[in-house]
Amino acid sequence: MTDRDPDFSDRVTRLERVWANLPGLGTLAAVNHTTVGLRFMVTGAAFFLVGGLLAMLMRTQLALPEQDIISPEIYGQLFTMHGTVMMFLFAIPILEGLGLYMIPKLIGARDLVFPRISAFGYYCYLFGGLIILSSLFLGIAPDAGWFMYTPLSGEEFSPGPGSDFWLLGITFVEISAMAAGIELTVSILRERANGMSLSRMPLFCWYILAMALMIVFGFPPLILASVLLEVERAAGLPFFDVAGGGDPVLWQHLFWLFGHPEVYIIFLPAAGIVSTLIPVFAQRPIVGYRWIVLSIILTGFISFGLWVHHMFTVGIPLLAQAFFSVASMLVAVPTGIQIFAWLATLWTGRVIFSLPMLWIFGFLVVFVGGGLTGVMLALVPFNWQVHDTHFVVAHLHYVLVGGMLFPLMAGLYYWLPLLTGRMPSESLGRLGFWLFFIGFNATFLLMHLTGLRGMPRRVYSYEAGLGWDWLNLLSSVGGFILAAGVAVIIIDVILHLRYGRRAPRNPWRADTLEWALDKPPPTYNFVSLPTFRTRHPLWEHPELPESIASGQHALAGAEHDRRETYGSDAVTGKVREVFHLPSNSWLPLLAALSLAVVCVALLVRTYDVALVGVVAAAVFLLRWGWVNGAHPGMAPLSNDEPTDPPLHSRTTDGPGLWGMVVTLMANGTLYLCLIFGWVYLWTVAPEWVFPEDPRLPLSGMLVSGGLLVIAALLQHRAAKRLAAGNAAGLQARLWQAAGLGAAHFAVLLWLTLEAPLEPTGNSHDAVLLMLLIYLLFHGALAALLTAMQALRVARGYIGVRLPYEPVVLRPLWIYTTGIFWLGVVIFILLPAGWAP
Amino acid sequence: MMFRRLAAPMLLGTLLGLAGCSGPLSTLDPAGPSAATAALLWWGMFAAFSLVWLAVVGLWLYAMFRQPASDDPARARRIEKRWIIGGGVALPVVSITVLLAYGIPAGHSMLPLPLDKGESLEIHVTAHQWYWEVMYPESGIALDDELHIPAGKPVDVHLRSADVIHSFWVPRLGGKLDAVPGRTNVQRLQADEPGSYRGQCAEYCGVGHAHMKFTVTAHTPEDFEAWKRQETQGDD
Amino acid sequence: MRHRAVHPAHLVLGLVVWAVWFVAMYGGLSVACAVAPPPVADGALTWVNGLLLLLTAFTAAALLYAAWRCWLAARAEDDVSGDARSRFIPVVSATVHLSAAMAVLAIGVPTIVLPPCP
Ligand code: HEM
Ligand SMILES: [Cu+2]
Ligand SMILES: [Cu+2]
Repeated sequence: MTDRDPDFSDRVTRLERVWANLPGLGTLAAVNHTTVGLRFMVTGAAFFLVGGLLAMLMRTQLALPEQDIISPEIYGQLFTMHGTVMMFLFAIPILEGLGLYMIPKLIGARDLVFPRISAFGYYCYLFGGLIILSSLFLGIAPDAGWFMYTPLSGEEFSPGPGSDFWLLGITFVEISAMAAGIELTVSILRERANGMSLSRMPLFCWYILAMALMIVFGFPPLILASVLLEVERAAGLPFFDVAGGGDPVLWQHLFWLFGHPEVYIIFLPAAGIVSTLIPVFAQRPIVGYRWIVLSIILTGFISFGLWVHHMFTVGIPLLAQAFFSVASMLVAVPTGIQIFAWLATLWTGRVIFSLPMLWIFGFLVVFVGGGLTGVMLALVPFNWQVHDTHFVVAHLHYVLVGGMLFPLMAGLYYWLPLLTGRMPSESLGRLGFWLFFIGFNATFLLMHLTGLRGMPRRVYSYEAGLGWDWLNLLSSVGGFILAAGVAVIIIDVILHLRYGRRAPRNPWRADTLEWALDKPPPTYNFVSLPTFRTRHPLWEHPELPESIASGQHALAGAEHDRRETYGSDAVTGKVREVFHLPSNSWLPLLAALSLAVVCVALLVRTYDVALVGVVAAAVFLLRWGWVNGAHPGMAPLSNDEPTDPPLHSRTTDGPGLWGMVVTLMANGTLYLCLIFGWVYLWTVAPEWVFPEDPRLPLSGMLVSGGLLVIAALLQHRAAKRLAAGNAAGLQARLWQAAGLGAAHFAVLLWLTLEAPLEPTGNSHDAVLLMLLIYLLFHGALAALLTAMQALRVARGYIGVRLPYEPVVLRPLWIYTTGIFWLGVVIFILLPAGWAP
Repeated sequence: MMFRRLAAPMLLGTLLGLAGCSGPLSTLDPAGPSAATAALLWWGMFAAFSLVWLAVVGLWLYAMFRQPASDDPARARRIEKRWIIGGGVALPVVSITVLLAYGIPAGHSMLPLPLDKGESLEIHVTAHQWYWEVMYPESGIALDDELHIPAGKPVDVHLRSADVIHSFWVPRLGGKLDAVPGRTNVQRLQADEPGSYRGQCAEYCGVGHAHMKFTVTAHTPEDFEAWKRQETQGDD
Repeated sequence: MRHRAVHPAHLVLGLVVWAVWFVAMYGGLSVACAVAPPPVADGALTWVNGLLLLLTAFTAAALLYAAWRCWLAARAEDDVSGDARSRFIPVVSATVHLSAAMAVLAIGVPTIVLPPCP
């Protein structure tokens, strides 16, 4: 920012003011992606240190045979919390944070599409994480392993609050994952710089898009399972309890239906880092861009077809196991394609071997090892031997640490200059790497042999003389070397903040847009928004940083005193609208705090306080929904509005609709999992019975459903006419739809209360009750939101020039109608027809 | 330089692996057909995958330090095809095919299918927190934490659980199988020679998990009959 | 022949079909074994295996056909615009359909040799 005319510096000052976080404590109201992304990553790193500490305690106990430094009770808490913290509070959040932080910078946008949602997600993560962690200090941490198998984690065998901490806390944290998943999906699809077609998208964005969509489809099974188990524990509804007609294996299916994709949710963004760094250090474009995109898509799907490989010893037909075995091996193909595409890039490039490349090399060595043992584990007869032994512990650390932590460290060293404006030290960094690398392999390489020699996992102690003694000792020594490496890296990062050399504009001579930014990046990222003509903007247009900073591209400054960025077509990347984005807001923090109250209240089982929390959260969320569109706090109608392109809230296909559809995809997955649970228990659970008399009168259901259909049709008509420019009778029609929706809800509620259900007595009624609650919630939500929109019509926030909002609600109505009728068919008609 | 640092631990691991297979719970010291098959699978995969690993790491190192002669795009495309199709697609596909060709029949051979001739011995095992309750349905013999079987004959262990999920595992005889509440799983075991084999619970089942051990004693057929007689007489 | 541009949904459609097929295979097998397990002595020659194989063959054929159509569209795109970028979606879609077909065939193969229920 050198010589400029005063008028222009005024504009930049104004831009800065509009995008600034509030001063002092007001920074807690920040919503912009740079701040929130950084908070995610720093918090994740702190949790990594906690998880690492727990690991060192375990390694101390296992160093010698027959030690009793740690009791079996505490050891159970240690491995459960280590796994839980590492997976849920470190790996996933830190990668989400990286995505939130990087994506707008890579796609040439100023912020994500739903900034308040990412801030909300952060607070849910922080509070949930702290709640889970507090159990450790209270000495009542969960202790049934990070996959919480029932019945061990159930009320009978884990009576204390340990399991509740896990179930409630993790569900709370998962809100943040869902938020990030939806946020990133819509942002990547709808917010790319002008001209950035899908085929010009940096590979990192493809990886993050896949991760985000996998979160959207992968987390609902876990959320459902956690809710069901918590309800079973707290209220006695038998979902997993055999005597009541449940089945513990249902938990395993739901957990791993999430758990395996999760591993790839962790791996894909890390591979995205590798795909970003390798071309930069090889000084040439990536080889096989399309091949890599294909691999990403393949991995994203196939990883959903592997979950049973965690359950090969449960006693499932061998043919079914074979399906999963083959599928598990097939994922090696896309992984192989990526590894060899990276190899070919290095092969044809001139490689600069800097510190980040060292970590990439460490990644390769460790991850390929872990991948190969993974293929071994996918072979059923071999799996029967090594499943649940230290062989698996070794394997999972090779893939997780190799496939995630090594690339993450590479990324840390690579992007550190961007974050802080200073270069890290090469010498200390190398020392840290070698300590980490040697320590890691010393810990885990020999552990394969420990497992093959029969040491099961999750044992707090072992007899001497079984051939495990010196192997464990070496692993523990290795663990401490590894810890020393982590310490060196932390010191290196801290020192560099003070003593690091100032970083030049583009220190690694990279091709992607984030290096066009000032360091550290301003909250608005770009002074003006450039148009994309190539996959490698900075290589082909080295003058971009200058021209962006001097406002030579579009949307320079903040003309309307509000946060704005471009919205574009999902495929071609052509600009379609101007997104106006919310500014600092306390609502995310308040809503998350209310949910934290709910979470703690449920933990101590004081349900009236929980109810207060729920109401408070609902109030804050509705208020949040209110401050949108043409609300004076957002983008009120005015006479000098941009029309080419228009503001997004003046159109009918904006990000809100996309967000709604993606949310409903997640929601639909949850619903399908509930149906799966129903059909599964029906066909498999040994004690499952259908009650003698039907629980719900079909006629009543038809009435309730009929009302719902009419309401949905009315809402649909209203939205359609408004989109066509006709607002006559809009408000009345919306009130009618809301009223009919409320009637639907009332009838359904009456049917539920009248039904002779015995939900604590048998799992048929328990699952049915969950279905009814789910339908009731959606009925109420659709009616409530439509009533709110009717009010907004009265206030002038919805109208001919503002047709945006009813279109957003339309999919919710369709969805609500769909789940109702599907529910009637599968939960009422099908059983009646099957067993008359 | 770096390569040597990596090669050393790898080599060490290999040597140790070869030297140290024995052990009372070692899967690499098989004493029955299922365990022998699994061990064989391990050695095959270990040898093949070590080669793959060395080759991939070696190629990467070479690729990083070589200086390409020209920037010719046509050449680059050839290299792309060669590595991605050859290494990325063909290598995994071939490895998988070979693996499954051995692995699927191997898994099949471990199933408790009806025997061509003769009957297998049936033993009922119920897992508890934290011990194994053993029952011989024919003779009514009941024991805790020990099984007795005839050597050289297939035995079908019918597994149930009285509380949480456990996993029944005798590493030297064969793979593990879970004991799940509400189900009965059948595990086929066979010991080739008389002897004593250790087993343990492999699925975490609470604080006593580490100590949930048992033994399987294989007798010659004559000794087994004698043992049975002695047990049934001792009872009444 | 005239070709319409390939819809971007084809980037994932093949694998969506794969996923549905996979659920049908696993679900169908599980329900069949729970409701009417064929005798163990029949080995792999049972009606369950037959149905699963039929489903596999049909799905793979459909996916191969889709791959071929996308491939033709990519070629046509080449003739019209000569721009490599506009081939991106058809080409990737074709490979996705092809990969999905291969995955269906590979995962279906064990049905030939293994008995369904034990
Ligand atoms: C930093 C060095 C690390 C060390 C020394 C270490 C050590 C250990 C140890 C000793 C166990 C328990 C084994 C058992 O008794 O079964 C364990 C389990 C586990 N670790 Fe780590 N770990 C490390 C890093 C990580 C990382 C980075 C992740 C994930 C991103 C991770 C994920 C897990 C998981 C999921 C488990 C299984 C927990 C369970 O059995 O419930 N670990 N680790
Ligand atoms: Cu998995
Ligand atoms: Cu046990």
